[in-house]
Parts: sequence; C-alpha cells; structure tokens
Amino acid sequence: MKNKEKIGFMCAYTPLALIDAAGYAPYRILPSEACEDRAGHLLHDNLCPNIKKILDRALAGDVPDLAGVVFVNSCDAMRRLADAWQHVRKDDRIIWIDLPSSIDAMAHAYVQGQVEQMGRTLLSWSGSPMDPMAVEKSITSFNRICAHLSELAPAFASGAIPGGYAAMQALYNKASTRDFTTTLEEIEPMPGKTPAPKHDAVPVYLFGNVLPDPKAFDMFESCGAMIADADFCTGSRLFSPVTGGQKDVYSRLTSHLMTKPQCARSFDPALPGEIAKTTLSRARAVNAAGVIGHVIKFCDPYLERLPGIREHFKKNNMPLLILEGDCTLRSMGQQRTRIEAFIEMLM
Amino acid sequence: MKQYFDTIVSGIEAKIAADPMEKTPRKLYALEISRLGHRLYSGEGVAWCGIVAPFDLLSAMGVTSCFVEFIGAMLASTGIAGEFLEEAEHIGFTSDICGYHRSIMGAANKGAMPEPDCLIATTTPCSGGVAVMENLARHFKKKLFVLNIPRQMSKSSVAYLAGQIRQMAGFVAAHTGKPLDEERLKEAVIKTNEARAVLEEVYELASSVPSPVNSRMLANFGIVITLLLGTDAAVTVTKAFRDDFAQKVATKTGGVPNEKTRLLWIQNRIQFKNPLVDMLEKQFGAVVVIDELNSITWDAIDPDDPYTGMAERAISIPFNGDGSRRIENLKKLAKKYKVDGAINPCNWGCRQGSGARGLISEGLKEIGVPVLNLEVDCVDTRSFSEGQLRTRIEAFVEMLG
Repeated sequence: MKNKEKIGFMCAYTPLALIDAAGYAPYRILPSEACEDRAGHLLHDNLCPNIKKILDRALAGDVPDLAGVVFVNSCDAMRRLADAWQHVRKDDRIIWIDLPSSIDAMAHAYVQGQVEQMGRTLLSWSGSPMDPMAVEKSITSFNRICAHLSELAPAFASGAIPGGYAAMQALYNKASTRDFTTTLEEIEPMPGKTPAPKHDAVPVYLFGNVLPDPKAFDMFESCGAMIADADFCTGSRLFSPVTGGQKDVYSRLTSHLMTKPQCARSFDPALPGEIAKTTLSRARAVNAAGVIGHVIKFCDPYLERLPGIREHFKKNNMPLLILEGDCTLRSMGQQRTRIEAFIEMLM
Repeated sequence: MKQYFDTIVSGIEAKIAADPMEKTPRKLYALEISRLGHRLYSGEGVAWCGIVAPFDLLSAMGVTSCFVEFIGAMLASTGIAGEFLEEAEHIGFTSDICGYHRSIMGAANKGAMPEPDCLIATTTPCSGGVAVMENLARHFKKKLFVLNIPRQMSKSSVAYLAGQIRQMAGFVAAHTGKPLDEERLKEAVIKTNEARAVLEEVYELASSVPSPVNSRMLANFGIVITLLLGTDAAVTVTKAFRDDFAQKVATKTGGVPNEKTRLLWIQNRIQFKNPLVDMLEKQFGAVVVIDELNSITWDAIDPDDPYTGMAERAISIPFNGDGSRRIENLKKLAKKYKVDGAINPCNWGCRQGSGARGLISEGLKEIGVPVLNLEVDCVDTRSFSEGQLRTRIEAFVEMLG
C-alpha cells in the first residue's frame, strides 16, 4: 500500500476519492520556496505565486514520479499553469475536470460526465476494472479522513494537542500528498475530542486561498491569535466530506464538488456577494473576535471580491484584516506588525 | 457618456450628410458603435454582459447588450478613466486587478454606468470578468445569469452550453419583459452569417501585401464587431470595409504608404491615446496589419438550430481552452499576414492574456516571428512609461530590419 503510484493535483476541487478508488495515491503538488524562481519566464510575473511556485518545482525537477496529473478548470492561473506544465513535462498524462462557476441541474449533468470520464481514464491507466463498490469504499475512507481532521483541528488550535495549528496544517499537507491508508493509520489513533484547555489567546477566524506553510500558522499564534477555524484550499476546504444520498457514486462525487465549501471562483448567481455572508457566519459560528483573510497576490477571484467582503464586515461590526502574500513566510513575516496590532485591538 | 455618444453620432451624421465622401468604413463603424453607446446610456432594456455572450440573440430580443470591458475601453480612450480607477482603488480594488474591471467598478460606484435590467457573465475569457459581473449584480441589485463556457469543443460541451443559452433567453425575457421570437432570432442569425461571410473577405483582403489597413483601422475590431452581430449595422459596416479594402488591393494601395514592416498585435490594444502606433508608422514604416482577435474561428450558424451554433462560436474563441490552441491561431495569423514581428502589450492585471506570454513568444519564435513583450496597463495611463516603451519598440523594429 505504501508504494502506490501517485496522481498529481493542484486544486481543492479534485475528487480525491476517485484517485484512491483507481488504486493511486493523490499527491498535491504544493508550492515550495526551495526551488529557483524561474516560472515568470514562461508565465508572467503578475500571475498567482502559488501557480508560479508549483511550476518552479516542475522546472527544477522537484516533483516525484507521477502516473498522471489532474487539472481543474478553476481559474485563469490554473489554466495557464496547465499550458506551461504540458510544455515543461511533456510526457505527463493529463486529466481535466471542467468545473462551471455556477451550479444548477444542467451543470450537474455536465460535471458528472467529467467525473465519470476521469474515473474511466484513471481505470484505463491502472488497468483496474470499473467497480462502483471500490469508489464507495474510497468515499468512506475519504470521509473518515475528513471527520478525523475536522475533530483534530480545534484540538490542535486550542492546545489540547501540542503543536498548535502548525501541526494541524502539517497534517493537512501530509494528508494531501499520500495515500488514504497511510493517512488514516496516522490520524485515527490521535485523540480528537480531548477537552480543550482554557486559552488566553484571541479567537480568530482565518480564510483565504493557499496557505500551506505550517510556520505561517505558528506566526499567527505567536502574535496572540487562537485559530478558531480556518478555511483554506490547502486545509479544511480540501477535506470536506462527500455527503448526499444518491446511490450513484459519480452523482454523489459531483454533488460534493458543487456543494463543498467554495473557493471564491464558485458562486450562486442568485446570491451575488454571498461569500461575504458565508465567511461572516462561519466566523460567528466559532465565536471569532476577528477575521484574518490571507489572499495570495494576483488572485482575481479573491481580490475582486474583497471590497464586498470588507463592506459586509464593516456593516456587521466584525473586525477584518486582509493580508496579501505570496505563499511564503517571508511575505507573511513582513505583515507581522499588522497582525500583532490587529490582535491587540481585539483584546 | 450619453452626451459623448450623442455628440459623436450627430457629428458623424452631419459630416456624412454634408459630404458623402466622408462615409468611410471607420466612420460608419464609429457611428454604429456610438449608436450602441447611446442606446446603452438611454437605459431601456439593457443587459451588461461578458465578452462571449450571444449578442445577436439579445439583439433579436430587442435588448441592448454590451460586454462591460467595452465601457472600460471607452473611458480610457476618452481620457476619463483615471478618476474611475482612483475611485475603484478607494473602495478597495487593488491596482493589480485588470484596469478594465477597475475602471468599470469605479464608474459604477460613481453612477457613470447605466443601470441594467439584468446581467450575463461568461466564464470565458477570464476569471476576473466573472467576478466583476458578480460585483455589478451586487452593486445594481439586479439578477445575474452565468454562461459557463466549456473549455473544449465536444458533443456534450456544446449541448451543455446550447442548453444554457436557451435558458438565458428565458432569463432575459423574464427580466426585461422582452420575449424571444424564434422568427426574429432566425432573421438575426441570417444577418450574423452574412456579416461573418463578409468579415472573412475583409480579413482575407487585409492580409494582402501591401495591406490596405493602417495600424488603427481594425484596432479592437474583431471583438467589438460582435456587438453588432445579428443586425443590419454589422452587415453595413463589414461591407464598407470590404469594398474599401478591395479597391485598395486592386490598385495595390497600402493603408500606410511604403509599408516596410508588418506587425501582429497580440491581445488588446492600448486604449488610451498614446504615440506608439504613430511612431511605428512614421518612423519605421511599420504597420500593425493584424490584431489577434481579428479572425473568425466559428462556422456559419444554422438558423434552424441557432443555440448549437452560438455555443460552438463561444467555445471556439482562441482565448478559451488550452493555450496551445491560442498559439496555433497566432501562428496561423502570423503566416497568413506574412508578419515580421509581433507586439504583446501584456496588459497588466490580465492573468488570462498575459499569463501565457512566454509560451506565445516561444511558439511564434518557432516560425521565425520575434515577439516584443511590453509591460503596459492598457487602460491605466498612470503606469505608462512612454520613454521606455519607445526605446524598446525602436530597438525591436530596428532588429527586424
């Protein structure tokens, strides 16, 4: 089980259970600071730093052997990454999930076709027979991972389990880069529902897009924050359980993609600006004293919606701090004074 | 803006009435676009849209429709975008966001964008374009419909988009009170096809050596003419260009005398007044003979099955799908127009367009076409470094020989 071939992915909309069901380990290609900064040559310097750092890994040969890569048609940056990826790693086999921005019954049928095609392609690569029971089993495993991670997050955040939220983020990173069995072997014995000790730190809700560096969460905590909950695509958003009662596993996976906690690129046209309300209610649900949004530079889906979020938070008297970063602790470090001042203001 | 469009309309009409020789293709084109602008700012039955919305269908419904980036370009070309860009930044839109979208949000916030009856976003060409439509829907408190444009052409993707377009027609009817008459739609599609056929002739003629165009004649043309599809205006304008070009080609008259160097302009033009194109022509005899968006990538639409053809049209645009498709289209244009080089302004804030600049340069290099990548915000003059740009363009054209 430890030597499963890997399927690379970069977007939290990737249906991981399908990768597991076909006998592969999902491997999230996370951005890394370790590689030389070269992607701007193929892309553009004004493109999402997450995407550039992922491409830097490909350019530096810092990606493990992959049986294939799944791309989601989620945003401009992801599309441009796919172009450059195929230029740099010409031999990689590619699967696309064409995911609409808005969701309705017609979109469901279209996306289900994409999910089924992804399943067929993975199975043709692995040589395994099509077996809905295998998909069902993988969904169950995935949901067990999600359930455990969701119990562990508050325990790490409150200090009930040592290591702080950085340790939680490290777990998210590990869970997104290895097979389900290994992840479950590590997290299931961990005590999730340990009573939380009293905490003097200020409860803060975090949201944004890509923030995989555990040290970033250390920094928030060292500034006096207690991370009451966090919504990032490199964290809980990737590990939301597959729910729904449909018998058909592909239909269920499709519903999951369409209803899971959303990145800003997905929205309901009937409720424009809803991201502001959703973010505020999630913050209120965990009694956050304030909210910190961490958005990577040049991410249009978030940057263009931030003014609406700011306005809504102001109207509702919820303190909000927006940080723009480039996925590195270096850029976060520069913001330390602002974070400290924000936390002090909440005390 | 309404006054601006009215002034242009009355000015051009008066000139043409006084002297029929003034009826040049570019004037006719400006007249029709200004009439559209007038209707938009008259505020009845208006739909703000994304770039690949089916404008002919909307036109058949009697709805005045326009992609919002057109307004950004108009604000820039008239020199008034600055105050709206500042307003957008004041309300929280960072200057890293596309200048078109910032200027639109600033204009909306200052009451300089007409209130629409409804909005239609299109997920192609860019993520930012969808976000700005969501923001406008929130700002105007109007209903929004999203056309999700699939990334690849296939039977299922075309059927999916065709279904959405059909649904969109119902949505627009509900919010404008203007139902779709299938017979009027057929007539609009016939006009679209007629304009499409003439456009093919226009582009074929423009590729002649010397080219009948100068660097401004077809600037922004391929994208803006879509706003007139389905109407007589599109047919009139395209025919005017065709006839003018045919006459010039027959007499080997170039749009610029002594054309020496032929250039391809990638993506969109710099929308505010600037001296670069004049400099290219006057100093070097270098002419922009082709803009990336001046090509037809779709087949004539079957009037009996318009939704399928409109879906195929939207999916076919080179900004959609894999970058390799866009690069192949650029190579095709570069060869057809026998260009010596290409200029990519790399519009700051355009992740969709500029994100592929390295791959575009490599692709065109494969066929011996060098590319000059600039750093320009095509709407925001504040970051326009004329001196630097002049130097780089001069060096580039000299290198082309």
